[in-house]
Amino acid sequence: MWGQAAIPRPPIALGQTPDQSQTTNWLESVDPMQYTNPTKVDESTYDDDIVRMFFGATVLWGVVGMLVGVVIALQLAWWPANLGLPWTTFGRLRPLHTNAVIFAFAGNICFAGIYYSMQRLLKTRMWNDMLSRIHFWGWQLIIVLAAVTLPLGMTQSKEYAELAWPIDVLITVIWVIFAVNFFGTLATRKVKHIYVAIWFYISFVITIAVLHIVNSLAVPATLFRSYPLYSGMTDALVQWWYGHNAVGFFLTTPFLGLMYYYLPRAAERPVYSYRLSIVHFWALVFLYIWTGPHHLLYSGLPDWAQTLGMIFSVMLLAPSWGGMLNGLLTLRGAWNRVRTDPVLKFFVVAVSFYGMSTFEGPMMAIRTVNGLAHFTNWVVGHVHSGALGWVGMMTFGTLYWLVPRLWKRELAYPNWATTHFWLATVGIVLYTVSMWAAGLMEGLMWRAVNDQGLLASPAFMDIVNRLDPFYWMRLSGGALYLIGALMMSWNFIRTIAASRSEVQAPSAAPAVS
Amino acid sequence: MRRKVERDQILGHEDEADGIQEYDNPLPDWWLGLFWLTIIWSFAYLVHYHFIADRSPEAALAQELAEAQERWPAPGEGEGTEAGLTLTAEAVAEGEGVFQTYCVACHGADLMGGIGPNLLDDEWIHGGRPEDVINTITNGVPDKGMVPWGPVIGPEQVNRVAAYVISKNAEALGREPGAVPPPPE
Repeated sequence: MWGQAAIPRPPIALGQTPDQSQTTNWLESVDPMQYTNPTKVDESTYDDDIVRMFFGATVLWGVVGMLVGVVIALQLAWWPANLGLPWTTFGRLRPLHTNAVIFAFAGNICFAGIYYSMQRLLKTRMWNDMLSRIHFWGWQLIIVLAAVTLPLGMTQSKEYAELAWPIDVLITVIWVIFAVNFFGTLATRKVKHIYVAIWFYISFVITIAVLHIVNSLAVPATLFRSYPLYSGMTDALVQWWYGHNAVGFFLTTPFLGLMYYYLPRAAERPVYSYRLSIVHFWALVFLYIWTGPHHLLYSGLPDWAQTLGMIFSVMLLAPSWGGMLNGLLTLRGAWNRVRTDPVLKFFVVAVSFYGMSTFEGPMMAIRTVNGLAHFTNWVVGHVHSGALGWVGMMTFGTLYWLVPRLWKRELAYPNWATTHFWLATVGIVLYTVSMWAAGLMEGLMWRAVNDQGLLASPAFMDIVNRLDPFYWMRLSGGALYLIGALMMSWNFIRTIAASRSEVQAPSAAPAVS
Repeated sequence: MRRKVERDQILGHEDEADGIQEYDNPLPDWWLGLFWLTIIWSFAYLVHYHFIADRSPEAALAQELAEAQERWPAPGEGEGTEAGLTLTAEAVAEGEGVFQTYCVACHGADLMGGIGPNLLDDEWIHGGRPEDVINTITNGVPDKGMVPWGPVIGPEQVNRVAAYVISKNAEALGREPGAVPPPPE
């Protein structure tokens, strides 16, 4: 298949829109069997209501999740913000924050982005509208149940898999319904070729099902209590196999899929390299699944397994950067538009932070670096450069790109999008820089010894107290990020309200419930 | 050996990708080089760590301990604790500083206890003689949550804080410092 590229054809200069008719003819002459010529599909055959529903849920849960994040950041800087109530203490709100931003905010944008793009990429409506609705309402029910049970202290104590077993069962059922609908759509597609974005979506749907089911296997004791099937070190290993691949297959591969659809659409430029997308996709999904043990370096895990987790993490650097390269190089010829188009601004910063945190990750997975970084705020900074930088900025860019297409109306306040972009960017920088500094300080102070060989800071509280200024700086960064998200929400509310009052056509369907 | 490939060739799938065109550009050389480099480095690391240098965590710890032992030799038998109590005003004042840093969290700023026992009453659970107090601070009572402070703050500071505790205790009970009973049993 790569041999096709060797056939001479007129090169296309940078910045010049390639001639589509020529391209088509050329390919047909090479391999007519590979080329199908589907009829043009009327946009109205697609189910965009489900996209609008997931869109609204993304915005709503995004604001909630970030607000809880700001609250717990305040609690670390100023303890009275725990309010002295069990339900509002850091220990219970922190899993609420992580679940809300990962599974509610990031989850809903993945679904919105997938439902919009896969129908168009496959030229077919979603296989079954009822399954789409069950998926939507079931997922929102799971989120509400999480928001109730976590503050009540019901938890399995597995990071990112805290939810009690009945909710785990519900997640499995809803996910399988989503998968049936997803593969049903794939099976009834009207095109032969499966575009790269869909490969990444497939890896998301399959792997999350496997991870969730295997890690959540437990023996129920009461309605909200259960005992994991695994014990001791095995439990820890399964948990971090799940935990790190939640990062890999919930926060990375679906977002790379979104990048492969929305970035070239927004930039109106061809994707830089098809073969790079093939190589980095397979390398990424093959290597990612082994990296979990890097969370258990210097633990009771057998040494060879620790080495395995570390070296697979190091080898993951280039495959991750393949995605960044394909994103940034796709923008060749569109960089002038990055200056003016907020959507492209969000995408550029998102892809840059993706490249940066996927460099930082392999470094932190190296044993000796991990010895310094583990359990410090550096890890928190690393996670947030991925979450705020990559996931958050990809989400914002996608949302801003979708709004005029879903509601047939330009943004109510176009300039606010650029303001949002700068608030978010400055917020991320404040957040990550303060946490890097805090983490390095902690790591160095924990191990520092004086000239008699005794700990230089034997009182742990001394080190905790010195984190204070960094915690306030982090809080300010997170608050800027939240303010940006609130501006975006208000912008969307005004835009959608204006669209509803103006157009009564069926295409401007009722938005979010 | 690499085939020369024309750059920026449109692949022609756009009709099946919602109009998104794709070039089929070759993998950037530096990117491919980086990929091979990480793979080679990883396997070299594995072989070196497990088979050549044999750097298990246990071996690394033993080596670190040996280095520390050489640099900061442990005091001989009884040395350090044998120096006994120095009940000068300076020693007590210095001991107060140590107490405020490490001990207040459990024994309270007023020594009246909290998580740990009250230090101003007449009850010495582990003995109230200077050598008992020094021993308790140095070796801790791990079963009850008392940290062995000897390795952390060193014998000199242990003596200072013991002096502070004993003098405050005697002061509270109106006794001569040191006039305390031996440990029970």
